[in-house]
Amino acid sequence: MKVATTLNVNGVSYPVDLDPGTNLLAAVRDVVGLTGSKEGCDDSECGACMMLLDGQPVNACSYLALQAEGSEITTVEGLADGDTLAPLQTAFLDLGGVQCGFCTPGMLVSATALLEANPRPTEDEVRIGLSGNLCRCTGYDGIVKAVLSVAGSS
Amino acid sequence: MATVEKPRAFIRPDGKEKVTGTGRYTADLVLAGELVAKFRYADHTHARITRIDTTRARALPGVLAVVTHEDVPDVLYGGMVQDRRLFAKDTVRFEGDIVAGVAATTAEIAEQAAALIEVDYEPLPVVTDFEAALADDATLVHPTWESYEGDEALGRHENTLGYSTIVKGDADAALASADVVVKGRYVTDPVQGVPIEPRAVIAQWQGDKLTVWTSTQVPYAARAGVATTLQIPESNVRIVVPLLGGGFGAKCDFHFEGHVAALAKAARRPVKLVFSRREEFFAVGHRREGMVLEFETGARADGTLVARKARLVLDKGAYCGEGGFFAQMAAMHALGPYELENVHIESSLVYSNNQPSSSIRAPTAPQVCWALEQHMDELAVALGMDPVDLRRKTIVETGSVTATGQVLENIAMRETLEKAVEMIGYGQELPEDEAIGVAVGWWPCFASKSGAYVKLNPDGSGTIITGAQENGTGSVMAMPTYVAAELGMQPEDFSMLYQDTDAAPWDMGSCGSQTTFNSGRAVIAAAVDLRDQLLDAAAEKLEASRDDLELTGGSILVKGSPDKSVSIADLAGEGTFHGKSEDVVPDGPEAPAEGCVGRLGLESFHAPQLIAHAVRVRVDRGTGVARVLEVAAAHDCGKILNRIGADGQVYGGVVMGIGQALSEGTQLDAEGRHRNAHLTDYKLVTASDAPRIDVAWIETDTPGAGPKGSKGVGEPPCVPTAGAVANAIAKVIGARVHKLPMTPERVWEAGA
Amino acid sequence: MSVQTFTTATSVDDAVAAVAAGARPVAGGTDLVVGARSGKSTMPESVVAIHRVAELHGVESLADGGLRLGALASHAEIAASDDVRSRFTALSDASAIVGSHATRAQGTVGGNLMNASPAMETGGPLVCLGATVTLRSPSGTRSVAVEDLWTGPGKTSAAADELLVGVEIPAPPAGTGSAYLRLEYRRQMEIAVVGASAAVTVADGLVTDARVAMTALSATIRRIPEAEAALIGSDGGSAAIESAGAAVAAASTPISDVRGSADYRRAMAAVIARRAIDQALSRARGENA
Repeated sequence: MKVATTLNVNGVSYPVDLDPGTNLLAAVRDVVGLTGSKEGCDDSECGACMMLLDGQPVNACSYLALQAEGSEITTVEGLADGDTLAPLQTAFLDLGGVQCGFCTPGMLVSATALLEANPRPTEDEVRIGLSGNLCRCTGYDGIVKAVLSVAGSS
Repeated sequence: MATVEKPRAFIRPDGKEKVTGTGRYTADLVLAGELVAKFRYADHTHARITRIDTTRARALPGVLAVVTHEDVPDVLYGGMVQDRRLFAKDTVRFEGDIVAGVAATTAEIAEQAAALIEVDYEPLPVVTDFEAALADDATLVHPTWESYEGDEALGRHENTLGYSTIVKGDADAALASADVVVKGRYVTDPVQGVPIEPRAVIAQWQGDKLTVWTSTQVPYAARAGVATTLQIPESNVRIVVPLLGGGFGAKCDFHFEGHVAALAKAARRPVKLVFSRREEFFAVGHRREGMVLEFETGARADGTLVARKARLVLDKGAYCGEGGFFAQMAAMHALGPYELENVHIESSLVYSNNQPSSSIRAPTAPQVCWALEQHMDELAVALGMDPVDLRRKTIVETGSVTATGQVLENIAMRETLEKAVEMIGYGQELPEDEAIGVAVGWWPCFASKSGAYVKLNPDGSGTIITGAQENGTGSVMAMPTYVAAELGMQPEDFSMLYQDTDAAPWDMGSCGSQTTFNSGRAVIAAAVDLRDQLLDAAAEKLEASRDDLELTGGSILVKGSPDKSVSIADLAGEGTFHGKSEDVVPDGPEAPAEGCVGRLGLESFHAPQLIAHAVRVRVDRGTGVARVLEVAAAHDCGKILNRIGADGQVYGGVVMGIGQALSEGTQLDAEGRHRNAHLTDYKLVTASDAPRIDVAWIETDTPGAGPKGSKGVGEPPCVPTAGAVANAIAKVIGARVHKLPMTPERVWEAGA
Repeated sequence: MSVQTFTTATSVDDAVAAVAAGARPVAGGTDLVVGARSGKSTMPESVVAIHRVAELHGVESLADGGLRLGALASHAEIAASDDVRSRFTALSDASAIVGSHATRAQGTVGGNLMNASPAMETGGPLVCLGATVTLRSPSGTRSVAVEDLWTGPGKTSAAADELLVGVEIPAPPAGTGSAYLRLEYRRQMEIAVVGASAAVTVADGLVTDARVAMTALSATIRRIPEAEAALIGSDGGSAAIESAGAAVAAASTPISDVRGSADYRRAMAAVIARRAIDQALSRARGENA
């Protein structure tokens, strides 16, 4: 039995009908149609699905979509300002933070949350704050450098 | 020879789509009318199938196709040995063997239908101990092995899929006369590639034409696999790879494209398969193999290595896949980059009922190097020498002749060792719970054919058409810079058409660290051909001799007469220009390899890459928890063409190596089933565990190298990391950990 | 079975009524949905989302020196509280290392306790700090000591119609320090293979009270009276810590699994317990924060 609800993703309201057990990742990818957030695991270990829920990071794969009604949902598609990349996006590209790119959306979302909560993090705080996002390509080096460069604390 | 300094700016052409989430990976694609595929896997790891009944599954509403071996041609496939069918026919041989596939309207229905397929089995003895599989009376994983097509050089016999030796002189006699002899036995657990993107495949038939969108590293191998198993011409199969979310070897080889294509054909609808993380662990016949390694090395008191004997047993798992060359590759790594007077190495690649092994980033090398480099440190202790001094005494250098008789030309092994040691501050005072470990290794280039086109568009922009496959490393992304350099244009002037088998000539794919080496060579050759065409046209237009022309700033000028020029855009608007590569594959070095069997061409290492890693490690002696604090990685990978990309390979490869060293290992139960097929207990290194890594490139000009003197970069960083970590741990705890990964419990057991 | 009904409670009464009617409460989803996705459990047929219930939120320092946590207090909120960090330090230690930043942002103390995993981080500290939980049903409210809440892995003494609405921790006596430590293979994203909590009170150089609880070493998190006895009345010196650690190891009934053998866990029980006790003692003595 589907339930009618509204999901507010990146400032746009989407009326959607969802099975009550649908997780937020599936709702945003398959129903809303924003596929930037990725599914990389079965047990909320990889962080590729990371979104912000009222500014707080959430593994969207383990959050029921219907719970997000009334919340502001932010995905990677909501980080740039039109065609202008956010400073984190540019820094990821400039400093080798992107290789295969599959972890990148979740990583950028976590980095956004991290800098929102702690605008001048130490390198260790960045590393701790990104530990819920697994990357297999970069060894995290370019990613950590990118976040620090945006924070102006490198 | 020079050390490369500051990274050059390089912005990847696929960067914007990746940071904005607008890029499309295979699982992101949706085709009208697509169905969901699910597999019914084996219920036993070794059993005869006595009955398959799909009646109930087919009757389930929403199921449009159920496919078993009866529904596809009876074809055996595989790399150097053809030993596997798409769908198991009479026998299942490992946990992930596929008995049937289902295509249904929803994932839930497909899963339900897969469970409704009735399969009866007669269980067979399970061969999980791959060392015991060598015994004369061992259960055969493939009783009909003799009937299989396979490469004669493998020396197949019963459970032994491949057997290679390296023999030089008389190792036994030399050991008997050595001043010091050390022996060691080492065991490694299987390891997974774990790309963060679980694989996905979508197949769609339009008439007899099949298009498959798939997350593969090797689109042309996937095409050949589909054509072979479904018995259709390659011209009817188009493989398209959307963005690929990492591979690390695990997405090399033909895997599931044939199954999904067969389902799509039967269902007469497009069919999509997306793996769960659990399937990505257990169902993919492609992991880094477990090994048993026994080493015995004798030295003179001054450290000279008079003899090495080694016995290597590699777990092939149930099928050959593309890993048939592993016995010889492992044997070469058991030599390592060392001068050895006498050698006897035996290497066996053995079937078992475990998950099949195939190439994962630098296949066989990290395990063998981990064992050998510990063994070398043990020898240093026995000799009373500093381990770095022992390596200084024994490593290969330019002019060295390897045990197989290859003369090494222009290599920088010594320089990488000295650089790594210098960067880490070897010899410094450290707290008692810290130590520095050092390891060295090597890895070959793989020369292969490739082809490319570069065409100019009427506005003067260009398009590169290459069969190369970008797996994330940036090696394909760097190609516009090579082409632009040949044509005096800017990298931004070029788009790329790639990862589409209908577009470009055959290519090996993103494996073997060969993209720049082979695909890059082809792309540059195509650019040179295009340049020649442009020069011809410009010479005519400018009424000048070709020899007087130069390409720069998007124009062709007459040298010394700056007002006599024509822009490339103007030429492009007037004519048709498309460059095509000539396929000139560089020859490999000679190696007589007298007395060696199982020769598959790896007895010489083409333009070898030399690697030295030094790591500083802290060990909590109460718990056995080891943390890598700092890594210095010095590589001779020839000329570095894309510094930010090359550095990225080292950062990622070293961190992967740390995972393999400390936390990554697949645990199997008594029947060869995965016990930790999930990321909670198969532990990748997180950002908070990854150390600072310093990278140095020693640029050499090695004969037989790739474009501009480049060698491979992607795989070498994985090779010596675990060995260096092991040597550091041993220094702290005063004991050796002989099992990989060196988990806290194993470190603690060893004597932390 | 997939979820058939989903409601969102806006008051505690709503939430309790839904639970009493058979709905499973969900807040952060970090156990419920993850468990179902990974195949360890199935989704319940009926779910009530309680995350919007304002009364269930909050970390509140009480006038009597105690602390009240709403069931929905997140690990991140708890870890960020100065009062928790200074006076209920073991809990702060634990909340700061649960899962990842996202787990800490979404995961709640109520969910953590009711999931009843023997490996949960916050359980041991709450046991040692003498916490009680408030369970509410349509017929009323009752308090249960945290250590009496769990009856086995994934099992609690809460009735089917009871909702955990809050956690109360009494004021720690003067001179109390506490700590939680776990064996960590990685620094983040860990599930405790062995965890140890200690809360000790020191007066005039002697340990006057001690509580030691072990995580992931038996079917439920529990106190180890023998370890506490080894500390109480002692000077908290290395001999006392050593024998408390030995008592912990002796009282452990660990399992062998992919994360470690029973032998290793038992040995680590002693090591981690000693370190947690040592740290709690240092804090009790004001030697570090």
